[in-house]
Amino acid sequence: MNAVEIKNLSKNFGPKQAVCGLNMTVPMGAIYGFIGENGSGKSTTEKMICGLIPTSGGSIKLYGKDYTDESVRARMGVLIEAPGCFPGLTVFDNMMLQASNLSIPHAEQEVIKVLKTVRMEGAASNKYKNCSLGMKQRVGIAMALLGNPTLLVLDEPLNGLDADGMRIMREVFLDIIKDGKRSIIVSSHLLGELQKVATHYGIIRHGKMIVEMTADELDASCRTYVALQSAEMNRTKMLLGCHYSRVEEDEAGYIRVYDLTTPEEIVTYLYENGICVTEVGTDKIGLEEYYIDLMKGGK
Amino acid sequence: MENTMKFEKVSFGKRVKSMLKVDFRRMFKSKLFYILIACALVMPILMTVMMSMMDGSVSTNPQTGEETVMQGPENAWQNIGTLPGEPLGGDEIFMMCNINMAFMGVAVFVCLFISDDFRSGYAKNLFTVRAKRGEYVVSKTVSGFICGAFMLIAYLLGSVLGGAMAGLSFDLHGLGAGNIVMCMLAKIFLMLVFVPIFTLISVAAKQKAWLSICGSLGGGMLLFMMVSMITPLGSTILNVVLCAAGGAMFAFGLGAASNMVLKKTSMV
Repeated sequence: MNAVEIKNLSKNFGPKQAVCGLNMTVPMGAIYGFIGENGSGKSTTEKMICGLIPTSGGSIKLYGKDYTDESVRARMGVLIEAPGCFPGLTVFDNMMLQASNLSIPHAEQEVIKVLKTVRMEGAASNKYKNCSLGMKQRVGIAMALLGNPTLLVLDEPLNGLDADGMRIMREVFLDIIKDGKRSIIVSSHLLGELQKVATHYGIIRHGKMIVEMTADELDASCRTYVALQSAEMNRTKMLLGCHYSRVEEDEAGYIRVYDLTTPEEIVTYLYENGICVTEVGTDKIGLEEYYIDLMKGGK
Repeated sequence: MENTMKFEKVSFGKRVKSMLKVDFRRMFKSKLFYILIACALVMPILMTVMMSMMDGSVSTNPQTGEETVMQGPENAWQNIGTLPGEPLGGDEIFMMCNINMAFMGVAVFVCLFISDDFRSGYAKNLFTVRAKRGEYVVSKTVSGFICGAFMLIAYLLGSVLGGAMAGLSFDLHGLGAGNIVMCMLAKIFLMLVFVPIFTLISVAAKQKAWLSICGSLGGGMLLFMMVSMITPLGSTILNVVLCAAGGAMFAFGLGAASNMVLKKTSMV
């Protein structure tokens, strides 16, 4: 059984089709990185999963049950766009309201526990409106974690978080899925961060799912390249450009050769042409480059 | 590892109870609630005392030279309803500015209370974990009803205090204290006619508080004159039953409509 199974989902806003025929499968125990450009339909899909907007067609199943089933929905945690908190109430009071909504027994202890998880226990008595952006985001995540949810839907949860906050989130995510039953859907534009935790990916474009893959499949799809630096970068680039089909210079000032070759072969070739290589190594393109390539239409 | 998950169903009663707990917690912690109660308490005091002070004073229209003698209240209960022998609605000033103003106050409360849910994003958290919208409507209607009841009681208290401060008569013109109790009960049950209207307009307008307030005040004004007719000072058990029955019908009917609106529209 999958945590989320979406078939042929569509959503129209008047004449505009935001999501069209989307299929998506989130296995149990997965951290599902949901990726797409701005306006590609990620948030709309997430809102439909959460039952916040009515669908125009298709089906959504959560743990084998229809998404409108109240027993499944009562075990969801959500952070979409911004945490839903009342600005005039304290962080603790806001959390208590959601704990009451979830009918959590021993609500106070549970609220303190999740606030500790996101390192916000010290700010519990602060009014929500006085919290910084990062603190608000942590409160939103803490709120989503209330009630030990089986499915977390998080839209840009890493926005505004500092390095420590991101590390905490990674730990929290991994802790949630360790029983192999609970799942997380995370959409984020911080692909480097997402790659550190995601076990599955779904890439959406113009309301359609274009690729769904596991982290291992992504790893296999990501091309290996040789990166090097030399004393004469311009000449090196020109020479390699004549000899190999795809040669690019990256932001860090390294020349990348994407063809199937070895560093030894390239170094020998350059040496024969009178160029001394100062640094050389191999690496793989990351999720970010894979995604950019995919969006450009490349492989 | 077993590849299944167990999900427990929570009963409707439990869900409503927890939502009422949330709404009462919010209501009793909100400034708006106390401001409205304070207004309901102070308004009749100020009005009664000031009108009594102006009693008998003459104002002249500078253009026509016409003289008008200001008439103050004669009885403390004029703030609550019409005394026997008086035309329905009572004195001109008390026809509009009386206890029935509480119905307009509740409109403001319900609209701001509900629009706050959508404006803050709380509705997203709530409706994600609550598939059924019915309990939300029930909870908001009950909260509005309770707020209305508090406002009516505060207004009654203010009227008694204002009457005492202005030295007005508390003569009931042949009516008994039971009639006042029935009148107040009828007004409280009549809140159940008004609150569902305000709730329906508010859930349709969502975060647009200005729209829901304008709509609710407009809608409330249409029924405003009905209040003094159905709940005179000489109300009996019949008035109470009539108001309770009307309230129940409106609460169920409009509650179902609000539920439908919430189901068919976006929560964000």
